[in-house]
Amino acid sequence: MAKVIVYSTPTCPWCHKVKDFLKQNKIKFEDKNVAEDEAAKEEMMEKTGQMGVPVIVVEGHEPIIGFDVEAIKAALGI
Amino acid sequence: MYDLIIIGGGVAGLSAALYAGRFKLKTLVIAEKLGGTIILTGDISNYPGFKKITGMELFDKIKEHAVSYNVEIKEEKVEKVKKYETFFEISVKDNVYKTKTIIFATGTDWRKLNVPGEKEFANKGVHYCALCDGALYKNKIIGVVGGSDSAAKEALLLAEYGKKVYIIYRKEKIRAEPINLKRIEQNKKIEIINNTNTKEIKGNKFVTHIILDNPYKGSKELKLDALFIEIGHTPISNLAETMGVKTNEKGEIIVDKDSKTNIKGVFACGDVVNSKFKQAITGVAEGVIAAYNVYQYINKELPICGCSEDK
Repeated sequence: MAKVIVYSTPTCPWCHKVKDFLKQNKIKFEDKNVAEDEAAKEEMMEKTGQMGVPVIVVEGHEPIIGFDVEAIKAALGI
Repeated sequence: MYDLIIIGGGVAGLSAALYAGRFKLKTLVIAEKLGGTIILTGDISNYPGFKKITGMELFDKIKEHAVSYNVEIKEEKVEKVKKYETFFEISVKDNVYKTKTIIFATGTDWRKLNVPGEKEFANKGVHYCALCDGALYKNKIIGVVGGSDSAAKEALLLAEYGKKVYIIYRKEKIRAEPINLKRIEQNKKIEIINNTNTKEIKGNKFVTHIILDNPYKGSKELKLDALFIEIGHTPISNLAETMGVKTNEKGEIIVDKDSKTNIKGVFACGDVVNSKFKQAITGVAEGVIAAYNVYQYINKELPICGCSEDK
């Protein structure tokens, strides 16, 4: 299974949607809270060059910005 | 053939679905993304029955309630709507659905400021939703463009994160609800810049400053790390327009008090219609009225008694 990272903030509604979607599909992921974790924020900015959340990174794929179900499904192959 | 297809998956659309389900109408909700504008609001304190609830919680409750009456929901983008003599065809990417009636509950999109730099710095300092992206600007300088109650609420939320929040408003006095205006006045982090427009957004990789049309403290340059644009919404009515649904000068779908549009069998509700006061509760009410009139339209001989409280 490819490694999945979600960059999120605790308040962002679409972040919750993304995480719910991954849980429903039994996809394990690492949740990085960019509101608290400065290093994670830097990492996200470096990978995407932007400050919008959520960002979903599926190992071996381009980062996905926002709750783009089709793109997430395609990257995960589900 | 469906009795009713609702296009849009916010609280207005789902409330229409809830009633349609109870009326035993074969109902489908199609939405690109469920949730609508309300889920981008943090705490809601004016929805009767709930002293305090988040937008997401309210939406989830309404959705669950609707689904309990066997309405179908599909998260797809509607590409085309076509009118026939006695029915309508609704096309999504890989499918076509037939329905006797339609309710447009397509809601709104963020209104853009339309200044240089806005597109270029989207998500790079230019944002439209404080609840979504505000937390990334801890201890930063944040600007909010707009003077509505929504703008005031966004500024209050952003003040929880930023070290300084400017409200930049083109007119004399912001139009927040008195309760929020007082909170703004008492918040030491928030400063209002009145009678001023944002002319340009500048930066390198990310936003560094904006250009104002009037000098503030002697300079037209205002340094900030993020600019949240909260200048209202534009109705998403282009799909309805393609089938001849009438809209007003703002692009809002024109409905009567029965939520009917100018086309027979086509109804609309929520933020996309020509109502003055756009709230979750008013959208919900319009959705319910639309569902009732769909039922009347389909079963002309069977008026519903509004007095029943059956389960």
